[in-house]
Amino acid sequence: MMMKNLTDVEIIESVKKGNQADYAVLIDRYKNKAFTMLKRMLKNDFDAEEVLMDCFLKAYNNLSTFKFESKFSTWFYRIVYNSALTKLSSAKRKIENEMSSVDDLHFLQSSYNADDLVKEDLSLLVKKIVNELPLKNAAVITMFYLEEMRTEEIADILQISVSNVKVILYRSRNLLREIIEKRNLFQEVI
Amino acid sequence: MNNINDELLNKYLDDDLSREENDLVKISIENSSEVKKRYETLLKVHEHLNSIEKESPSIDFTKLVMKKLNAKSVIARQQKYFLLFVLFMLCFIILCFVGYAFYQVISSMQPIQSSEIVTNYSKNLGDYFSNFFGQKNLTIFGSVLSFIMLISGYFLYDYQKHSKKTFSH
Repeated sequence: MMMKNLTDVEIIESVKKGNQADYAVLIDRYKNKAFTMLKRMLKNDFDAEEVLMDCFLKAYNNLSTFKFESKFSTWFYRIVYNSALTKLSSAKRKIENEMSSVDDLHFLQSSYNADDLVKEDLSLLVKKIVNELPLKNAAVITMFYLEEMRTEEIADILQISVSNVKVILYRSRNLLREIIEKRNLFQEVI
Repeated sequence: MNNINDELLNKYLDDDLSREENDLVKISIENSSEVKKRYETLLKVHEHLNSIEKESPSIDFTKLVMKKLNAKSVIARQQKYFLLFVLFMLCFIILCFVGYAFYQVISSMQPIQSSEIVTNYSKNLGDYFSNFFGQKNLTIFGSVLSFIMLISGYFLYDYQKHSKKTFSH
């Protein structure tokens, strides 16, 4: 009970002292958010869980190198993001990923016809589109909304500039806005 | 009012504008129905994105990770013990050789009366080691030791391979 109230730093210090069991608190703290991000990036439950397990093992094995210069979450999400990239590095997936690049999100808009847009519940539609976003967009949206991270922190994790993070975030939002506008228009016509 | 582009609206939403820009966007939203509509839809998107719930891995995920971590620690501990055993054996062999060499040096010197008892003891001990590490015995001893090392190394490698395989599934 008490362990759950401790900060990440306190838990890490305890694990470093040899209390391996305390690492379970960190796993419980981050597993759902990291899993959601991985699932959106890899588009697959099984791969997401497998990669997440590797991430926690990697983080544990490298805990001695963690110097508390950044937040544990920043350090851990960098492991998660890089592991997802490694998983996706197989040729086929790389091509798919390149095809659905950050600059071109309109392939998503065209994949929904009027019937889909009108019939689908709005919350479900948003969720569906978010799950189909390209890798970087999915990562940025998840970290911004689910982790409530600042754009500077996201830029640090993805190793890109803050302005690039903002561009990715705005484009993803604008795509959803356009789809909702299209949906509203169809609803008015019907 | 048309100069209120999507980027400005997004920045307004994130409270990422200067005071002047913020006022400009605010006035535009109030005065232009088109900008207002765009902003409201964007706000709706923002709210929906905020309300998306996180997903969870399998129920026993934490247990599985901890099990893997424990297995890794066991393997690491076994490796440590094996290395310590090898080091101990090496030290023992080196000590035996040093002892033998020491005995050879002592036995070549003239015994002093006061240390005659000690010399006798060391002579007996030396004889024992001399017989033990005699040409024939040394070969057998070395062969047995190498065989033990090889066998234990193989079993340790095989056990670790098996453990890794078990926990990767």
